[in-house]
Amino acid sequence: MTDQDAALGFAAPHDTPVPYIHRITSYYLALGYGNPYRWAQYADVPFTPLKKPLSESRIALVTTAAPYQDDKGDQGPGAVYNASAKFYKVYSGETDKEHDLRISHLGYDRKYTTAEDINTYFPLGQLHKAAESGRIGSVAPRFHGAPTNRSQVTTIEEDCRDILARVREDEADVAVIVAN
Amino acid sequence: MGLISRYLEENGIPTVVMGCAKDIVEQCGVPRFLFSDFPLGNSAGKPNDPDSQAFTLDLALRVLETAVGPRTTVQSPLRWNDDGSWKIDFSNIEQMSEEELAKRRAAFDEVKRVAKEQRDEAGLKVGAAE
Repeated sequence: MTDQDAALGFAAPHDTPVPYIHRITSYYLALGYGNPYRWAQYADVPFTPLKKPLSESRIALVTTAAPYQDDKGDQGPGAVYNASAKFYKVYSGETDKEHDLRISHLGYDRKYTTAEDINTYFPLGQLHKAAESGRIGSVAPRFHGAPTNRSQVTTIEEDCRDILARVREDEADVAVIVAN
Repeated sequence: MGLISRYLEENGIPTVVMGCAKDIVEQCGVPRFLFSDFPLGNSAGKPNDPDSQAFTLDLALRVLETAVGPRTTVQSPLRWNDDGSWKIDFSNIEQMSEEELAKRRAAFDEVKRVAKEQRDEAGLKVGAAE
């Protein structure tokens, strides 16, 4: 940081949101994979206003985390990337039960994230607290897990439809979607 | 997850995305986005810090309530640490030696092999990316 930066109270030059698209694209090019991933990009974005106050709404939770499978190797905390722990179909779990969900199959930050606390990527406990306090009407009876190792076409044609059908089946009003 | 958010929203379900990858989510284009400037994997708050987790969920709910239109991004005021030095490292080839890159190339080949094996086993078509 320059003296002038310090005098002006600027943050360090690196202290901006991480440019993941640039980092990941140049990383895989450096590894010798010349076909960079095409990240989704839309000009138009839909928007549906809330139909009623959250205190009267039923909230669905959507996650990319995967159920722990004891035959699928180290899934953390602190596990290296584990492709074998991936899943390929939308799944749902009952929200009134405890769940052991992991993120070892995802490209999270292996250096600074240990994934030791499920509440950092799966806020079901906090959603229940929000329901208890009346902040939200209720938590939908099921949460939904979205696969990540799919083509974008498959995600849209199969997984999105599947999740919408399940959200509707549960008569949820709103969805909280947690990316990892 | 941006694709799911968009699809639900097109079909009448309001959504909020909680995430840490600002450029990826915003390039996709979602209706409402709570951005936490944390390492990937902490979209719902800091580890072993229930106050930060409660704050983060409440902020996501407030984004749901107050967004005036699509592409509303709200950045959480929470900081991972004081100097933000963690941001330098993620997949940053400028920080890697040739030796480190070679090691990673070999590890990546192995990951691809396992993923392909899994897909073949499940009889699924090949995914375009992770």
